[in-house]
Amino acid sequence: MHESADEHALERILGKNEEMAEHNRDHFRSLKACTFNLMSAPGAGKTSLLETTFQKAGSTFSSCVIEGDMVGDLDACRIRKTGVAVHQISTGRSCHLDAQMIARLLHAEPLEKTNAIFIENVGNLVCPAEFPLGEHRRIVLLCVTEGDDKPIKYPVIFRNCHLVLFTKCDLLEHVEFDINKATKNIQAINPDVKTMQISAKTGYGIDRWIAWLVSEMTDYREHLKTAKHVHHTAH
Amino acid sequence: MHESAIAKSILEIVEQRLRSIGAAADAQSVEVLFGEFRNVDPESVAFAFDNMKALFQGCANCRLSISTIIAAALCKDNEHQYRPMANNAYRCPACASGIGKLLQGEELDVVNVTVELERMEKEKEQHARVG
Repeated sequence: MHESADEHALERILGKNEEMAEHNRDHFRSLKACTFNLMSAPGAGKTSLLETTFQKAGSTFSSCVIEGDMVGDLDACRIRKTGVAVHQISTGRSCHLDAQMIARLLHAEPLEKTNAIFIENVGNLVCPAEFPLGEHRRIVLLCVTEGDDKPIKYPVIFRNCHLVLFTKCDLLEHVEFDINKATKNIQAINPDVKTMQISAKTGYGIDRWIAWLVSEMTDYREHLKTAKHVHHTAH
Repeated sequence: MHESAIAKSILEIVEQRLRSIGAAADAQSVEVLFGEFRNVDPESVAFAFDNMKALFQGCANCRLSISTIIAAALCKDNEHQYRPMANNAYRCPACASGIGKLLQGEELDVVNVTVELERMEKEKEQHARVG
């Protein structure tokens, strides 16, 4: 006897990651911290941006950082020098952070009580786009040395983000990067996305970036209050 | 190389389905849908799947069948339906506006697992004889 049976039931292949991301989101909610996932190609300036942000923001808000790297803790060491707490995740062979890695960290190392948690993802414009972590906002950094065609080559990451930062804008006069063209390429994929030009080295655009962060944190706190009110009303 | 993570997730889903049926079942095939607007290379997933499947209970002979779902969108300005593609920078060929709503192309789903019942039946017979 040789029979077969079909098991029909649609199941999302990365459903477990999505469930774990929801779990992380609850965890971040309990900390009352707005969480930002920073993604870019290697060398686009994620760590430099965080260093400058913490220096410029001063006591405007408190932060901690989750650092994702395949090996080593070079970025974590740089962040520690700013006085901000860092939690390292070494991904080993994996080219991206996933929600399970974040969940393991959240259960192993209690995070500091802060207004903001920055997750510095592994430098890669492909894989991190497929793995939500439970963050509230996804930010992509596009360095002006990379070329204004990158949104066309890597559409998924640019479609699924809330903000694109053009980084190292102090180099604009030395490279063939057309900001308008890059912006149009991004908006063709993600019409509602915001874009900003910054330079962590000169400080250009950093005040605007910090104002955006503060606004997001304020909105998040308001959202938590409303959610709490609804919760209490429901009971 | 997140394709190996995708292959592993598919095999975990198959293994879970087998467990829900009976420990002795074998998977013949698994059908998956990959949307065009996902960062997933079918050949890399198939390669990782074939290299990994023997490590999963009942999956050693499981065949992976991949269907690609072509992306379809409504453009932002005029809601024309079109296929967003890199060679036109994902813009609508009729009016050049960008993607308003993506109708399909973001799938990453297991749609069907075919399970072989032969081993299950033989084990049932053996149990009956022993009993």
